[in-house]
Amino acid sequence: MHLALPTRKSSHPPAYANRSSRYPMLRRSRVQAILIGLCAVGVLLFLCSHIFGGGERIPSGTPPVVIVTVVDEENYSSQYIKNIKENRIEYARKHGYTTFFPTIKDYDLKGSPASWTRVPAVRHALTKFPFTTYVWYLDQNSLIMNPDLAVETHIMNPKVLESLMIKDQSIVPPDSVIKTFSHLKGENVDLVVTQDKEGLAQGSFIVRRGAWSKFFLDTWFDPLYRSYNFQRADTHALEHIVQWHPTILSKLALVPQRKMNSYGRASVTDESGAYKDGDFVIRFHGCEQMGRDCQAEADPFSKQWRTVFHAR
Amino acid sequence: MSLSRSPSPKPGGGWASPGLNTPYVDVSGRSSPGKAYRTNGAGANTVTWESAKAKSEGVNSYPSFSTQNNGFFTRHYRTISNSLPRFNMGRGPEKSYAEKEKLGRGRWSSRDGSKIAKLGNFLGRISYKMRLRLLAILAVIVLIIIFYTTPLHYYWRRAKHLGGGKKHVIILAANQGGGVMEWKGPREWAIERDSVRNKRKYAKRWGYELEIVDMSTKKRYAHEWRESWEKVDTIRNCLRKYPDAEWFWWMDLNTFVMEPSYSLQSHIFNNLAANTYRDINQYNPLNITHPFDSPYLDEEALSVNGDGKDSSINLIVPQDCSGFNLGSFFIKRSAWTDRLLDVWWDPVGYEQKHMEWEHKEQDALEFLYINQPWIRPHTAFIEQRKINSFPPGACSENGNDDRIHYNEKDRDFVVNMAGCEWGRDCWGEMYNYRELSNYLNRNWWELFKEEIVAVIWFKITGHKVKL
Repeated sequence: MHLALPTRKSSHPPAYANRSSRYPMLRRSRVQAILIGLCAVGVLLFLCSHIFGGGERIPSGTPPVVIVTVVDEENYSSQYIKNIKENRIEYARKHGYTTFFPTIKDYDLKGSPASWTRVPAVRHALTKFPFTTYVWYLDQNSLIMNPDLAVETHIMNPKVLESLMIKDQSIVPPDSVIKTFSHLKGENVDLVVTQDKEGLAQGSFIVRRGAWSKFFLDTWFDPLYRSYNFQRADTHALEHIVQWHPTILSKLALVPQRKMNSYGRASVTDESGAYKDGDFVIRFHGCEQMGRDCQAEADPFSKQWRTVFHAR
Repeated sequence: MSLSRSPSPKPGGGWASPGLNTPYVDVSGRSSPGKAYRTNGAGANTVTWESAKAKSEGVNSYPSFSTQNNGFFTRHYRTISNSLPRFNMGRGPEKSYAEKEKLGRGRWSSRDGSKIAKLGNFLGRISYKMRLRLLAILAVIVLIIIFYTTPLHYYWRRAKHLGGGKKHVIILAANQGGGVMEWKGPREWAIERDSVRNKRKYAKRWGYELEIVDMSTKKRYAHEWRESWEKVDTIRNCLRKYPDAEWFWWMDLNTFVMEPSYSLQSHIFNNLAANTYRDINQYNPLNITHPFDSPYLDEEALSVNGDGKDSSINLIVPQDCSGFNLGSFFIKRSAWTDRLLDVWWDPVGYEQKHMEWEHKEQDALEFLYINQPWIRPHTAFIEQRKINSFPPGACSENGNDDRIHYNEKDRDFVVNMAGCEWGRDCWGEMYNYRELSNYLNRNWWELFKEEIVAVIWFKITGHKVKL
């Protein structure tokens, strides 16, 4: 065991010193590089998912606005209805919108007045065009008179809307205690309606898609409101829910009547809501009542919108 | 300095012993003691010229061999020698080689001494690295003990991002129907005391918030009568009061948490999908048509499970034999909840239905669920016995039902003595369940006393004792 001299060294020293690490592949520098690489990939994936996957993907070619008009084929002549439809379709074509014309019989109202149809119709439009931002309900007794005004820029643009909205205004004029909010941001508005002399005018209103709009329409359509015999059915139900439920009031903006709901001369309105040339929409409010004739009232304007539309 | 080989004699006489000043000579326990070499030469203290030269050579000039870690033996010197059997040598000054027989030289070490000495011996022999590891384990154990014996674990469980206790609020409705309606007797006070104490203990254990609300009938609404819809106002107030909270657990006074060791997170919320169901057809005492058949509704409202994601559940309700039961339910902070709380009470609905709606807000909720499609995708149901087991007295028309009634073998979480104020003994039930809960959740010391000591005592003396 005890050797007097050290053993002779080999004349062929090993070319390289032995590496002490057990995993020759995982040198420190290499481990660092791998870790940095992994981090970079993670950050990249995170960014990508945020940029491309954030929220739902809206398919290209989705119309920004759908115009909903419930048509009553029984009580109106097909010519009148054709005119109404053409008016919406031509306007929609100019702006890349789309139209939706359900009939009064499409929805089971379980005996409530036919005017309730507008609520499921708008709900249906939200289902049918799930990515369309705005649903504009326009009553069949109305015509779009100015094709140059676009819904998103003329009314729904948050900045424009903030300047348009009537603040601190009684919901039911002249003196209901519930008033519209005085501090409401344009981007928080989900429902835009107008007001005439009698109260909210739901002949023309715009709803923004989202969970709120479903809540709003479902609440409005509650069977207890339909069975309650409100004097003016859905109109009064709307006034009721707006006044009793702040989650609805806080999303509502009133805009001046002539912005989207000017009344023809024969209709009940004060002067501020009467139609003047250049207004967006004319509505023959109450023309379905006894002693009035919608078709006759609409006739002069039918010619007018065609000339205006084709002049441009 | 380490040796690759054992010391060897130099040609000039004497010993080159570069290992003399190394620790190995004293502690390594090599079989050939260094002392022997020293005394072997020209006396204990004589240093020859050669040996001194060799020694200084080892320090000043290049050594004749590499002293670096080369060679297997050098590198593993310590480990190998530690694992070798030890010979008894060099222990204490009195053991000299002169008294050969006492040394036990060449025999296995007797490893004498007490247990403590043994432990010290062991600790002395384990390597530095191992010592660090053992220390780390010991530190972890000590920290765990400290964590659970001090309030530290309470703050941990409470913290929003750790235990998440702050995210849960228990709303306990005390004094229901009290106030102007009836006076509280000693039994009512006792019920309230027990129920509140039970919830307080539970909330404290898991770091939850507890809000005790006074539900006594007051003339809160001057112009309309909406008693028992105060629930809505209470929840709304809590939403405002606890801005950190996510889930609100409503509990009636006649409830008792039987298993305080269950946390809400582990019992329900960590796996919401498995613990709840959205398809009411699974258990449908009200025979509600689900899903809707109106074709104009969106996909989500028409689907059986809403969007199927946990995150879209905003309301968790148990169902008893006759429909929804709001004696114990969860509601989550969300825009959806704000809307529900807002439309839950409506004068038009109330005017038409208040005679029909015997259970007031509960029936109103059922009505909303049945009629308004936006409610369903965000409402989930939970098996009743998960948060709301009934005692045998409630819902008992068809006898005991596995889905409804409390079973102590399954260790149900909560008992709700629903309807005990109508012809049953609320205080008696509360007392029994309290005692049962204590019995089921005895700690090890109580178990030891009652299951072992008392039993043995009974066998020996024939007397039952209460320890």
